Amino acid sequence: MFRFFFKKDNRVEELIFDYLETFQLIQENFSNALVSCIKRQRCEKFDFLMEQTHKCESRADDIMDEVNNLMFGKALIPDFRGDIMNLLISLDKIPHFLERALFMIRYQGLVIPEAFAQDLQELIRISIESCDLVSKQVTLFLKNKAGTRALMSTIDTNESHCDHIERRIISNLFKSDLDPFFKLQFKELVINIGDISDQADRVSKLVNILTLKRRV
Amino acid sequence: MLALLGGIFLGWSLGANDASNIVGTAVSSKMMRFWPAAILAAIFVVIGAVISGQAGIETLKGLTRLTIDQAVISSVAAALTVTLMTVMALPVSTSQSVVGAIIGIGIMNNQLNFLGLGKVALCWVGTPFGAAVITVILYRILAFFYNRLPITLFSADRFLRAGLIFSASYGAYALGANNVANVTAVFVGAGMINVQAAALIGGASIALGILTFSRQVMETVGKKLVALDPFSALVVSLSMAMTIHLYTLVGVPVSSSQAVIGGVLGIGIIKGINTVDMNTLKRIFLAWLFTPVVACSIALAIGYASRLRYIPL
Repeated sequence: MFRFFFKKDNRVEELIFDYLETFQLIQENFSNALVSCIKRQRCEKFDFLMEQTHKCESRADDIMDEVNNLMFGKALIPDFRGDIMNLLISLDKIPHFLERALFMIRYQGLVIPEAFAQDLQELIRISIESCDLVSKQVTLFLKNKAGTRALMSTIDTNESHCDHIERRIISNLFKSDLDPFFKLQFKELVINIGDISDQADRVSKLVNILTLKRRV
Repeated sequence: MLALLGGIFLGWSLGANDASNIVGTAVSSKMMRFWPAAILAAIFVVIGAVISGQAGIETLKGLTRLTIDQAVISSVAAALTVTLMTVMALPVSTSQSVVGAIIGIGIMNNQLNFLGLGKVALCWVGTPFGAAVITVILYRILAFFYNRLPITLFSADRFLRAGLIFSASYGAYALGANNVANVTAVFVGAGMINVQAAALIGGASIALGILTFSRQVMETVGKKLVALDPFSALVVSLSMAMTIHLYTLVGVPVSSSQAVIGGVLGIGIIKGINTVDMNTLKRIFLAWLFTPVVACSIALAIGYASRLRYIPL
């Protein structure tokens, strides 16, 4: 009945859920692209999925811009406005990490060595799981449902697991007799993928703080 | 009607200054836009003055008997006190300056209602403390329910904004009902106008002040309270309105600024933080002391000056 009075707020709410859907698509495309790249070094499918990831990332940026415009048009009260913007800005770093990893492989012509394929696959799997969980956590927070704390704990465990895998890959990488220049390129890729779960953990902790902050 | 101009001017300055206490927080923190807030406040000030302004008018007119000239003197003295203390950057309450001016006239007439004065003085002291107590109780009750409401962040936003609109309307209603006596009670006491006309003229002059000159005050004064979270701001706004409404029922005009400070003090008590420094409290104490004294002195000075007659040699 009163929705008419809160048109901007309703639009922001719709856009945030749109963003979360797009975020999900980016993860799926990224995951499929990397898996296809590990299985077959150079394939058309990877290029297609990279392009799809890029398109979804651009769509996510467009949604962020629209949310920004509405926020500057004074949607929501300032306190909530700041909280939502901080959350979205923090969440939006993840698609950038995902897209950058694909660009590194594509434009630096990186080929995943067989010896590291399994570890890298595991790192990607856990990172994507963290992204998935953080997306669920944000949805729970926005819908005021319980369970955000449990998700934060799982995301935290995932982040520390990813750190272990990241360190193991880098340590083995520098023990191997691969080309030193390739080692540096590959290390950069591994660190970038590791950043995904780190950022998911940061977002998750922010959601927890915002949940606590909502109590008066 | 010319004699009423002093009261209208006082009402105008009251509206311009006190609107910030009602909607200042919401406007300066951009929770509400200025014009909708000002129009809402202006409408409810007039409604409050007309519906519930009689009790305060009866109290003030009962403090002493006034002639038309003395009514004009007391309203001019009150207006001068407000202007003087504002220029000197001292805290000022319109209610206290009006009562101070009436006391001055009462001294001159050698006729004062001490029972009425005692009631007024007690209410002045009770305003900030009463507001603090109401804030603490209201915060606890509202927080209990708010924390248990199954609402999303967006619904909470709507709830708080709707609450703020309600509290601003209620605050404006209470301000109109309570402070209209400051503006026109002396003219009722002098038999110039009846209570209904006084309430309407007083309410309209306060509304005029809100609509024409409150924006700047709102944006500067209101920012002092922005540090409060939205829920606390809503509670302070509601408790200020309730405090003023309570004193309206008692029939004593009080200071809305002091009620707001009391409300912010109450939030500080709940959260265990220093929301109001000792300096502000000292300033309130000084306002209690100086405002009526200055207004009384000015009224006496103008009163005696008006009795001087030129005797040609």
